[in-house]
Amino acid sequence: MDNPLVQPDPGLYIWTILTFLVLLTALAKFAWGPLLKALESRQATIRKSLDDAKLATEELARLQQESAQIVRQARVEAEAIISQSRTDAARLRDEMRQKAKAESDGIVKNAERQIQLETTRALEQIRHEAIDLSVAIASKIIQRNLSKEDNEKLIDEALRQVETRKH
Amino acid sequence: MAFQEPAAEHLAGAAAETFNAGRTILEHVSNSSREHPLIHLPTLAGIDFSVTKHVLMLWLVAGTVFVLVTWAIRRYLRQDRLVPSGFMNALEAIVEFVRDSIVLPNVGKKWVNTWTPLVLTLFIFIVSANAIGLIPIFDVLGVLNHWVLHAGEESFIVRVMHGGSTATANFNVTAALATITFLAIIVAGTKAHGFVKHWENLVPHGLAAPIYVILIPIELMGMFVRPFALTMRLAANMTGGHIAILAILSFVFLFTERFGTAIAGIGVGFVLSVPMAFGISLLEIIVVLVQAYVFSLLTAVFIGMAIHVHH
Repeated sequence: MDNPLVQPDPGLYIWTILTFLVLLTALAKFAWGPLLKALESRQATIRKSLDDAKLATEELARLQQESAQIVRQARVEAEAIISQSRTDAARLRDEMRQKAKAESDGIVKNAERQIQLETTRALEQIRHEAIDLSVAIASKIIQRNLSKEDNEKLIDEALRQVETRKH
Repeated sequence: MAFQEPAAEHLAGAAAETFNAGRTILEHVSNSSREHPLIHLPTLAGIDFSVTKHVLMLWLVAGTVFVLVTWAIRRYLRQDRLVPSGFMNALEAIVEFVRDSIVLPNVGKKWVNTWTPLVLTLFIFIVSANAIGLIPIFDVLGVLNHWVLHAGEESFIVRVMHGGSTATANFNVTAALATITFLAIIVAGTKAHGFVKHWENLVPHGLAAPIYVILIPIELMGMFVRPFALTMRLAANMTGGHIAILAILSFVFLFTERFGTAIAGIGVGFVLSVPMAFGISLLEIIVVLVQAYVFSLLTAVFIGMAIHVHH
């Protein structure tokens, strides 16, 4: 056993075990334990953040889809409103036009009736005046006043004549 | 012990006596002698507890690892947001690699937090102990002593230069680490199944009695073979690379002696030794990482086998 490479050395053996166990205990307590715990919690944090990010992305996509849907719906509704108001306006215009026409028709008719009435009345007046004038003229011609009865008889006669001439 | 010459003397070329490559190489890879320990401690129950070079290296590695790792992690955990930077980035990558690629696939989700600290400590400790052997701290100290310090033969500086600085190249150290694994396997099985059930799990259930006569000794042997393989693999790998580098570098001194002129040695050094030693050193960086990985991985695998019994 002259070769130093193969010499058993119990002292060194025990020193190694002691040194290693002390190092193991110290590192486990002050270094590995806290570090492994921290690494695990960080892993959990990262996993959670990634999950959250994924959820947020999904939520965003969902919201985008929803907002697109809303915009699409609003556009359809707006179009419906516009076309509705267009038809409403057309109907209203027609109604108003008809109403105006009816009103103007009424006014015209009224005016015509009024004219008719006025004409009739004017004619009546003219007739009366003509009678009075005729009587006056006739009296002048006859140069005397007829009795009341004669008068009336004459007038009636004259009127009848006038009537018959008229027809 | 025949390996008492100071390393610096060999490095300087050992002008006076003939250069013994084998002895020099052994001096550089083995532990410092127990007859001249760095700190003399009493013998307890027949065991010499004196602090040799490898014990010192273990303490140095353990202390450095503890201070660096704890400092980095404490600083990191004090931040309000857990964003690693600088050294912590690398450390966190190692921690997550060990946890998610070594421990988790073997021991399962339930036990991952129980066994990650052990495997992590094994990995970091072995990597550091392996790697410190690649850094020529004591060779620089030797040169410094030769030119500047001129410390006495019995001074701590000269004594600390004796012996290799890779503690994991010593099979006593790796045997101790393998013992940790050995015990961890038993603890893991006991924690998962109870003490009696763990030993019952050693062999498959429901076989014919004669088969057990063969199987039980085989499995018991397997129990000890596994840590033995761990011990030898790590120690031999760590020793081998250093021996190769030292053997190639010793060409410089062998050629100097053979041709009687330093020019021959320096020429061989430039053309052959330094480029080759450089190449092997690069290889050693890989070996340092791979061996620490293999040791931690196998520890995790064995612990996993004790927890998830496949028979």
